[in-house]
Amino acid sequence: MPDTLPALSIPKAAGIGLRSPHIAEMLTRRPSAGWLEVHAENYMGDSAAVTALEDLRQTYPLSVHGVGLSIGSAAGLDRDHLERLRRVCERFQPDLVSEHLAWSVADGAYLNDLLPLRYDEAALAIVSRNVEVMQDTLKRQVLIENLSAYVAFADSTMTEAEFLAALAKRSGCGLLLDVNNVYVSAHNIGFDAAEFIDTLPATKIGEIHLAGHAVNELGDDTVLIDDHGSRVPPAVWSLYAGAITKLGPRPTLIEWDTDVPALDVLLGEAMWADMLSASIGFHRRINEPAVEPARRTPIIIPFDRKAAPVRLPALAAFDTVRPARMPKQYEIRSYRHAVA
Amino acid sequence: MLSLERLQNTVARNVLGKPHFGLSPLLAAGRADPYRRLRIYQNNTRASLTTTLMAVFPVTVRLVDERFFRYAASEFIRRNPPSEPRLVRYGVDFPAFLRTFEGLEEMPFVAETARLEWAIAEALDAASLPSIGLAALDGDDAAATPELVLQPSLRFVISHWPVMSIWSAHQAGGDLDKISSWTRKAERIALWRNGDNVRFALLSSAQFSFRHSLGFGLGLETAAARALTHEPMFDLVGALVSLFGDGLVTAIRIDPAQEK
Repeated sequence: MPDTLPALSIPKAAGIGLRSPHIAEMLTRRPSAGWLEVHAENYMGDSAAVTALEDLRQTYPLSVHGVGLSIGSAAGLDRDHLERLRRVCERFQPDLVSEHLAWSVADGAYLNDLLPLRYDEAALAIVSRNVEVMQDTLKRQVLIENLSAYVAFADSTMTEAEFLAALAKRSGCGLLLDVNNVYVSAHNIGFDAAEFIDTLPATKIGEIHLAGHAVNELGDDTVLIDDHGSRVPPAVWSLYAGAITKLGPRPTLIEWDTDVPALDVLLGEAMWADMLSASIGFHRRINEPAVEPARRTPIIIPFDRKAAPVRLPALAAFDTVRPARMPKQYEIRSYRHAVA
Repeated sequence: MLSLERLQNTVARNVLGKPHFGLSPLLAAGRADPYRRLRIYQNNTRASLTTTLMAVFPVTVRLVDERFFRYAASEFIRRNPPSEPRLVRYGVDFPAFLRTFEGLEEMPFVAETARLEWAIAEALDAASLPSIGLAALDGDDAAATPELVLQPSLRFVISHWPVMSIWSAHQAGGDLDKISSWTRKAERIALWRNGDNVRFALLSSAQFSFRHSLGFGLGLETAAARALTHEPMFDLVGALVSLFGDGLVTAIRIDPAQEK
């Protein structure tokens, strides 16, 4: 194990989620990827993947994304698991660390799924305390991610976005905006996706997640399932475009967890995110000269839009980026984010 | 109103397939039926944990057929949900569960094969340290018996069924016909991680006893003595050479407390 790892900071550009089928190719090819994100729970042992990540960490800035700490558990944090997370951070020295606004442990069982909270003052006190314990243990600020949900609790007294804003204020945490989760929850629960993003404190958003979802018909009920198993769909791209038009560029992750495709497909999605961000940065610069543009220069490749409209849904997002239009207008024109 | 903790416990039990019908009024899902939506979490939990088990026990899946495996897995998940978020640790109790699971009492080799697959999973999550050569034993400290420190990924499986043969036959290039008559036959296996792979050694009872004793830190003298009870003519030098040759020794410790 190397004694010291270079301090590599995550750029305001696109990165990819490192998944086990790609590790060997990443090691040999070292493709140009802005940064990598791993699930903390997969690197708590001493497998070959752990050694590989130590190696990759020499080259790529790293984000550690926890999926099992269950910061929404009323019973408090699992201190053993928090200690394991601390050791992962010590070992890999990530630039960003994040978790979810969710719970997955209750009644002595780990459910391996992320469940929503009842958003009220009592829950806010519990989650704030858990996040404070987490930040004190890791000695750093963490980012907390919004959830994709299939149900909500009837007795909630605030929205998830209001809860996140209050949590950031009370605990000092940052936020991870998962645009796909916003889209999925907005559809499933019935709220306005753009309004959700507007409610979050812009300066607190330190990272964005992008992914695909599945559409599931349950009788007359259409549910979007957050399966991270496909390309980022057009509606999510356009919501992302709206978000970075407002926020400016942010570290943006392409997540893909089921039916993981070839590494190049992931890198291709990351490239689209960079191009979209650069394109928006360009227009922002014309309108507001003071704003810092996206760092990366887009590579322009000739492409026949009509030939493959479905295979590269990112292209649809470019249609939505027009300097003369405000985000709200094109969102209404092209896509519906919420089905009430 | 239920406290958050009680609410979470109730929902969790529901997600694990123990229905609780008072939940519906507490939930909302736009115009959809919230209780039906809760079943998505039930399905996600069961499906993702079944996938985890199928990845750890691929040969067991093939032995019992995928549909039966999924059924057994869902029963296992309902009764023994994971107790912590490290999914690499999930499945340790699955082989014992299979031993008595309906219909499998008649096929004990299924649970035994699962036991081998669990040992493989454990080895893959353990460290693979640099090994040292036999020359390291060439010290001049003749007074003390050197103690050998072995690879942390080393695991032992002893079975009354030829599980290694069954497992091998199900690998790429394996010959399933070879084990068409699965007769009871003991196998003693040592396995350990080597890079991305696992290496196996089929051992005699004396060799197994020797490595097993060393692996459990009983010391070279005890290990040799135990091997000799199995085989009076036990080849100690040969056993040491193959132990080092397999890259299993990571350090040599001269422990003065061992001197008597």
